Order: sequence, then C-alpha cells, then structure tokens
Amino acid sequence: MARIVAGPQGLLVATARRAVGMRRRRIACVLVGVTALVAVACLTTAGAQQFLANGLLGPAPVPPNNPQTDQKVRLGQQLYFDTRLSIDNTVSCATCHDPATGWANHNRTDTGVKGQVGGRNSGTILDSAYMRYQFWDGRAGSLEEQALGPIANPIEMGETLDNVVRKLDAIPGYHRQFERVFGTGVTTDGIAKAIAAFERAVISGPSPYDKYLMGDKKAMSPAAVRGMNLFNGKAHCTACHSGPMFSDQSFHNIGVGMDKPTPDVGRSKITSDPADWGRFKTPALRNIALTDPYLHDGSEKTLADVVAFYDKGGIPNRNLDPLMLPLNLTTTEKADLVAFMEALTGAMPDIRAPELPE
Amino acid sequence: MQMRLSRIVGVCAGCVWLVFASLPAAHAIPSFARKYGFNCTMCHSNFPRLNDFGQRYRQNGYQLPGRENDEKTVLETTTPFSARITGGYDYEKFENTPGAENLKQFRITSVDLLSGGLFATNIGYLVVFPPKIEGSSGIAAQPGTLEMGSVIFSRLSKGRGSIRAGRFEPAYDAFSVKRRLSFSPYEIYDFTFPGGIAFSDTVDGIELADRGGKGMSYAAGWINGSGTNSSDDSPQDLYLRVAKVFGAGEGQTAGQRLGMVGYFGKARPLAGGSRESFDRIGIDGSLNFDHWNVAVQLLRGSDDSSLWGTSSDADFSGGFVEGSYLPSTKLVGFGRYDWVSTPDEINQDIRRWVLGGRYYFADQLAAHLEYSHRRQDNATEAGDATEKSLFAGLDFAF
Repeated sequence: MARIVAGPQGLLVATARRAVGMRRRRIACVLVGVTALVAVACLTTAGAQQFLANGLLGPAPVPPNNPQTDQKVRLGQQLYFDTRLSIDNTVSCATCHDPATGWANHNRTDTGVKGQVGGRNSGTILDSAYMRYQFWDGRAGSLEEQALGPIANPIEMGETLDNVVRKLDAIPGYHRQFERVFGTGVTTDGIAKAIAAFERAVISGPSPYDKYLMGDKKAMSPAAVRGMNLFNGKAHCTACHSGPMFSDQSFHNIGVGMDKPTPDVGRSKITSDPADWGRFKTPALRNIALTDPYLHDGSEKTLADVVAFYDKGGIPNRNLDPLMLPLNLTTTEKADLVAFMEALTGAMPDIRAPELPE
Repeated sequence: MQMRLSRIVGVCAGCVWLVFASLPAAHAIPSFARKYGFNCTMCHSNFPRLNDFGQRYRQNGYQLPGRENDEKTVLETTTPFSARITGGYDYEKFENTPGAENLKQFRITSVDLLSGGLFATNIGYLVVFPPKIEGSSGIAAQPGTLEMGSVIFSRLSKGRGSIRAGRFEPAYDAFSVKRRLSFSPYEIYDFTFPGGIAFSDTVDGIELADRGGKGMSYAAGWINGSGTNSSDDSPQDLYLRVAKVFGAGEGQTAGQRLGMVGYFGKARPLAGGSRESFDRIGIDGSLNFDHWNVAVQLLRGSDDSSLWGTSSDADFSGGFVEGSYLPSTKLVGFGRYDWVSTPDEINQDIRRWVLGGRYYFADQLAAHLEYSHRRQDNATEAGDATEKSLFAGLDFAF
C-alpha cells in the first residue's frame, strides 16, 4: 500500500505509488475477468453441444412392439440366411449382406434373382440397429420395415410376400418356430420382426477408436489420431458424420452420380420434395473399411478414393449440399483420414449361417 | 500490493489450470467450435483466417448451411463466451513518428472478449469487445470500445439473403481485418483523411447481402460513416460489393474469387465545416493454387479537398499483395507488400512489407513470428517516418 509521507516530495511518491497500484488493480481485474470467462465457458461445455459427439455406442435401441428374445433372434437368423425367401430360391439376405464381407459385399451394385443388377451398393447390416433410416433413400423407418423390402423387390429377391408366407408356413420347422415365438403361423409381420430382431443382434465389438476413447491412447496409430482431428476439423467430415454411428441420420446431396445423364435422385423419390433431389442417407462409418466399394452407387473403390472425391468437393449439381467444398488436403492428410476410418473397425460378431429348417 | 497481485495472478493461473485439467479431451475451444464439438480447423484454415466452410458459416448467420433447422439457440448450447489473447516479445522502433514510443518488452498486445450464437433459427449475433486497458509496462492499451455488436437475420427469402445490423465488419473489406494472419495492418485499409472512416474500422449501420447463382455474391450497406460527422447528421454513406468465385469454394482456400467495391460517403472535415464527398473504388482477388493463396487488393480514393485541407481534391491509390502458404493446419507462412500513393500536396507515400509465420501447437494456440518494416515519406519536417517491428509470441483463443 502507498504511504502518504509528509512534504511535497512524499506526496508525489504516494501519488505515483497509487497510480501503480491502480494499474495493478486493473491488470488484476482483467485477469480475474478472463479467468471467470474461461471457467464459465469451459465448465458449461459438457452435455450442451449441438451434435452428438462421435462417441461410444450405447445399447442398441429396441422397439417396444418387438422385444428381443433368443428364440426370435434364432428364427430371424435362419430367415436371414434362407434363399427360399426369393422367387427362385437363389438369393437370401446374406447374399448381399454377407457376414464374410462386413455384412455387405464387395460388388459395386448387387445382383438379385435372374441375374438382375440393382442400382445401389449394399449397406452393411452391422450396427444397423442404431440407424434411424434404412436404405440409401431412407424409405424404411425401422429394421422391421426394411426387412420385407428386398423380398418383394423384383430385382433383389423377386418374391411376393404372400408366396413367401405360404412357402415358409409349409416348412414344419418354420411353422413350429413362428407358433412358439409369435403364437401364430408364418406371417409377414412375424417374418419382418424376426429378421429385424436378428439384425438388431448383429453388433460389432469395440474398435481401436472406442478403446482410444476409453483411455487406451495407444489403441490408435499416430496417423489415425491425426486423421481423427482432421475428420473433426479441416476435412469437415463431422459436419454430417456425427454421433456414435458417425452419421447425422439425415440426407445430403454430395453429387454422387450427378455427372450421369440420368442420375439417381435418391430421397426425393420417396418424399417428392424438390429439396431432397439427389440426397442420400449419411451412411454410418463404423466398420467402413470392410465394406468397399463405397457411396450409394459403389462408384469409389477404396476409402482413399472416397477421400479424394470429397477433397474435390463432390460433383457440382443444382442441389449440391452447401457443406460440400474442396478440402485442399495434403497427401499425408488423406492417408491419415483413411487410417482413422480404418480404426473404426470393431470386432465382428461370431455369427454363421445356421442349419435351416426343413 | 505487489504480493497481492502475485497472489491474484497465481490464483487465476491455478483456476485456469484446474478448469482445463478437469475437462475431457476437448477438441475445440472458442464458442462456435464448442457449440458443435468441432475442431477450430472446421472453419479456419489457420486460425484466425476462415476457410471456405467458415466463410459459408459466417455468411449463413452463424448456422451450418443446410442444417438451419437442426441448430440450437444460444440458450440451449454452451455458454457462448470466448476470449482471444495475444502476447509475447514486442520490438518496435520508430523514427520521426510523433507520439510513438519505442518498445522492447514482453507484453500482452491484445485481449478480445467474444460472444456469438443464435437467438433463434436464422437470427444470429456476434459481439467482440476488447476490454478497456490502460497501457502500462507489460500490457498494451485498449480503448475499451465495442468493436462489434451485430445481429444478423439470414435466409430472408427462399433460403437466401441476409441483413446484418449494428456494429460489424463491412463487406467492403474483401480481406477481413479481424481475421488476417498478420498483426501488421493493411495500410490502404487504414489510410483516410484526418478523422475519417478507414476501411479497417468496424461500422455502424445495416448491410444487406445475397448470393446469386454461379458463385456470385452481393452486399450493400448504409452506415454512419466518418466519425467527424456530427451526431445529428443523418447517415449518408453507402457501399456496394460484388464478387464472383470461379470454381467450387468461396475463394478462401479453394476457388478463385474476384471482387469489386464502391464506397460513397460524406464527411465533415476534422476542423469542422460542411459535409463533403469522398469515395473509394476497389478491385480485389483471392487466388488459390494448391496450398498457396495470393490476395490482391487495389483501392483508389478520391476525397474532397476540404477533408484534407488541400487546395484540390485528394486522389490517392494503394493496395497490397499478400502471399500465404498453408502446407497444413499446423503451419502457415505469409509475406505482404503494402503501398499507398498520395498526391503531391500530401506527399506521404507509405510502403510496408511484412514477413511472418505461425506454428500451431493446437488449433487455437499459435506461435507467431512477424517482422514488418514501414516507411511513410515526409511524415515530419525531420524526414520520413519509419517503423520496424518484430513480434514473437503466442496467439490463443478459448
């Protein structure tokens, strides 16, 4: 504290000291203010973010009208691997969503009954329980809704639902199981629920990324860690690939196929909304390294190709998502992003084709 | 008092350390990044410069383009406060520069407090307030005036168009003064008649902006203008900017952006008198080649003679050329040459060159090294004014 000393010189000293004191008080005020700001800003962060973080998966959601039971899952597993759901007994769900190839397959687009080729790439069944929409255009709002789609699709399994019900009900092993699980014979509703219940059980184990989040900082390579930071920054991936499934569960036009004369218009065919023209579901990225080729038309063979596609800013078109911009990534940064996406690969569930009922 | 200040500094440092130590591995710090859980590099090629994504975000009223309906308001998300602090070793040597003091010391050179977010869908705001600081050893003076405080109403019609009102950085600054990499000013943006509005100033008024097809963008503003106007002078300053980006992007790190600007204002001379006209016409380009950016600004000004106290109207011109190399989000280098050519009667041409670089320890923490040399012809009777400055320090935001 400044002391007032008698005499003019003493007063000057005291005044000077007071001025210094004032200055220090101001500095102290600034420091206290900034500290308070940091504290308020940082401590109110948790739980108030705009988007779900790319965090750990919780338990898969189960709809109340289709609770999981072991018997139902087993029945669904049989149906999933049974080619008799198709018109010519050649195609099962597993034909396009093969456990050996990440519960998808490596074809650009898939071949259904009678050698017919579809227009879209097969999405993986792995962890599909966490997705709000099924199919690239999101036309199914649940796994139950999704399960019947391919059966009745003339290109995929080409069968009518009535025929499938008749065929399966005539198989005693199925009839007995449906009676046990649903209290009825074979029904379309039962088929849908059983397949959905099985698909809901196809869950991948923790990935290196999950282990990293849980504290094992060596679980991911340095390249993957760099890739993670790019994913959430310069590469802009998190703007859409957000949440534990790395999907905002929404639809975007990134320009895939828009350089073709008659492009697949995706979501707008379902909603008839011009705003949805060329939009497709943001796919989940867990286990993405297993499910090449990529994008809804399978046009990109590798993850590196996908990164290159985004680096260019997609393909321009009249409804290109405004989030699509050239990224200006370096060669190393591209490789780091691929390393990160590879680190999203979890342990595969030990599920094999079961013995089918006769 | 010395003891008490030390204790306060110690307690503050301890609190900051405790807060940061208690946080989960946070990726992003300032309020927008914190809101989304993004890294700073989502919007900044190298903080503080915006990348194309950040530019779109800003133009869209601080909303992610295309996801406006998913946005949360300022009451639903993290507390929207941030701060930016710059400090380090500051060497400044002046010659023939009245009022300027030579410096050789460590000091905090700037403190900004920021807040931004959304009040509601399509209604955003931004406040930037550098608190008042009395200059003293170790800390640079700040006047404590509100730098920005604006509300932006975006997507006015068919998802397009915005109105920004309040105090804001105007669209005629083709290159943001607030988000440039160098600390040294753009000379031509600072150059104006005594007491007049400089391009580097934030402005009070209203600005309409829109985007057309094929990379076109437009902005027009109506602002108070020069501080020499009296408080009952109605605003008469208008500006218009048109820009086009060739290729995908916004011209920040992708695409080639060309722009034109016109500013037409009225101001009173500093010494008083009737309002007189002045104008600025400029062209600019932001060109991107791989990881290089070349920014070019050319500006011509024409001021009524009474504003300068000259016998004839003062026509001046100037600009800058800046090259920056952004090899990664960790590193950026930049060099710039500024010039202002003044009429014979003023005869105070300015030349500045700047060389610098930034290394990012984290997205929001950069080591900054910059050397700048400035010369202004015939600034005093003793001769040319020169300024040599070297800054080596840290620039961080949280």
